[in-house]
Amino acid sequence: MARTQDHEREQDRITDEDGVAIDSALVGENLELSYPTSEEPIVDCARLDIPEEAVTALVGPNGSGKSTLLKALSNHLEPETGTVRIHGDDLDSFSQKALARELGVLSQENDSLGSISVEDLVYHGRYPHRGFFDSVSETDREAVERALELAGIEHLRNAELGQLSGGQKQLVWIAMVLAQDTDVLLLDEPTTFLDVHHQFRVLETIRQLNEQKGVTVAVILHDISQAARFADYLIAMCDGELYDWGPPEEVVTEQLLADVFGIEATVRYEPELQVLPKRSLPNRRL
Amino acid sequence: MAETQSVSGQTPAQQRAGWVTGTLILFCLASTIITAIAGLVQVSFGEYSMTFLEAWRAVFNPNVILNVTAWSAFLFGTELPEMSTASIVVWELRVPRVFVGIITGATLAVSGAIFQAVTRNELASPFVLGVSSGAGFAVLATLIVFSGLASVLPLIATLGGAVAFIIVYTIAWKGGTSPVRLVLAGVIVNMVFQSLQQGLFFFADDLGVVQTAVAWLTGSLTGTGWDEVRIAILPALLSCAIAIGGARQLNVLMLGERTARSLGMRVERTRFLLSVVAILAASAAIAVAGIVSFFGLVVPHIVRNTVGGDYRRLILGCLFAGPALMVVADVGARLALSGTQLPVGVVTGLVGGPYFLYLMRKQQSMGEL
Repeated sequence: MARTQDHEREQDRITDEDGVAIDSALVGENLELSYPTSEEPIVDCARLDIPEEAVTALVGPNGSGKSTLLKALSNHLEPETGTVRIHGDDLDSFSQKALARELGVLSQENDSLGSISVEDLVYHGRYPHRGFFDSVSETDREAVERALELAGIEHLRNAELGQLSGGQKQLVWIAMVLAQDTDVLLLDEPTTFLDVHHQFRVLETIRQLNEQKGVTVAVILHDISQAARFADYLIAMCDGELYDWGPPEEVVTEQLLADVFGIEATVRYEPELQVLPKRSLPNRRL
Repeated sequence: MAETQSVSGQTPAQQRAGWVTGTLILFCLASTIITAIAGLVQVSFGEYSMTFLEAWRAVFNPNVILNVTAWSAFLFGTELPEMSTASIVVWELRVPRVFVGIITGATLAVSGAIFQAVTRNELASPFVLGVSSGAGFAVLATLIVFSGLASVLPLIATLGGAVAFIIVYTIAWKGGTSPVRLVLAGVIVNMVFQSLQQGLFFFADDLGVVQTAVAWLTGSLTGTGWDEVRIAILPALLSCAIAIGGARQLNVLMLGERTARSLGMRVERTRFLLSVVAILAASAAIAVAGIVSFFGLVVPHIVRNTVGGDYRRLILGCLFAGPALMVVADVGARLALSGTQLPVGVVTGLVGGPYFLYLMRKQQSMGEL
């Protein structure tokens, strides 16, 4: 918390430990988020940065407000107070379609669709790039081919979505968001409910996208040890507030695991960051 | 990846144009043939006795089909040119009924298909969502009370349908709608409007008007002529054209609200505009044929089961299957009882209802699409 507030006065600029400036693709300021049904704000956060061209993972226990925060960042939830800016521009200044060309979002659960073919679904990712009467252009075709290739599902293109396994379905949905061809990508728990093989497939796809095309990614991950290994930056959330922000080596401590996740765990920093959970701690509020 | 699907040898470019499948083409072709055959059967019966051959010769009479003046008389109500008695009987009295059947079949089917996507609910149809009874009430009020407004009947029907739909949607809305809530709200609004319809009969002083009104409430094509074609054809063409153009929007809506939003669709606005198109389509049919029950609900199901759920195919399929089924049902309505004609709504209700029950039994879950 303290860390982010220190930087509040600076515009879109935060520095890492060495004092090198980092540009933020997405910035949330003074955010207070709540749903119509709730009285208390669910998320209350003074400043949030998603650094440009990096992979940021949001972690935290169930009900800590990760998904709510992501909804506000993707303009799916109007904040009570505060603003969200993408590359310096307020989200509200975009039309819905223009925003969808800048920002791709994948929800946690997607409706089950039976009879649609994989390729058709991925082509829907081109929706924000097409006018009402436009037919499929060469650019659309290339974007879809790239997306299918990047997600490694070219061989499934004619399959029906209903026949695929959960992991394959998730890769198809990701391919659809990739076809949207945005600079910023927000993913809500893309690996939950998947087997380990598909978890890695999803994460590797995201990593490749980030490395090859410099796409900024913010991803909610359920598994703290996975997040610690995978992400460039971690945002740890607890009870609707930012607990800590930074590179995984700094954020992941035994203290954090006790405070935020309510577990006793050992953290090893050599040879690489590793979290070894032992047991749950008693007397937790949740 | 053991469950890899077979890869066809087509290039991606070919596949893109390939949403038109062989099944779809066959389906549309078969529907066209059925429409034509049923139409020919329909024009062969009537009070003026004629053999099949005579009737068909009159239908294919080149002096009528290729005559611009005749078509202008049919479509714009100008002076009818000189022609034989057989031609007049067939072209003035019998053929327009088939055309009205084609128009109402297509519009009701398309309307149902759109409503099913907009509400993402398999049970949605103009009838279930109250549009039919609202439009029905408006038309009935026009017939009985404000008979001077008969020329703008589709407009009035659209207004009535829109009001009823808005009421149903408002009742069902609670931060979103669910299929079950929509259907329940529809049932209640339907009942209220039906009571209002029945109440209107007390204001009818002419027995003839009451009979027209009753035939109209059950949905009937009996006695429809070129007047009805003229009334319905413009709203029908307009709504069907928009429905074809909007098929991609319908497909994106089917991905679910959140996904559609993420892709940059203004979901509420799109839903609203598409609902207006569906109401317009249903009202065009209701204004000329009355309330043909079950049609808008069942036809999209039949088409979906045959050509699949892609709305580009589904809308096109509905445009062909709707007319085929309507004209066939109307032949059934004419021939089921010798001596008298049933309203076509009785036939669609008797066939469509059980078919829908069968669907419900067959499918594990029914409701959300």
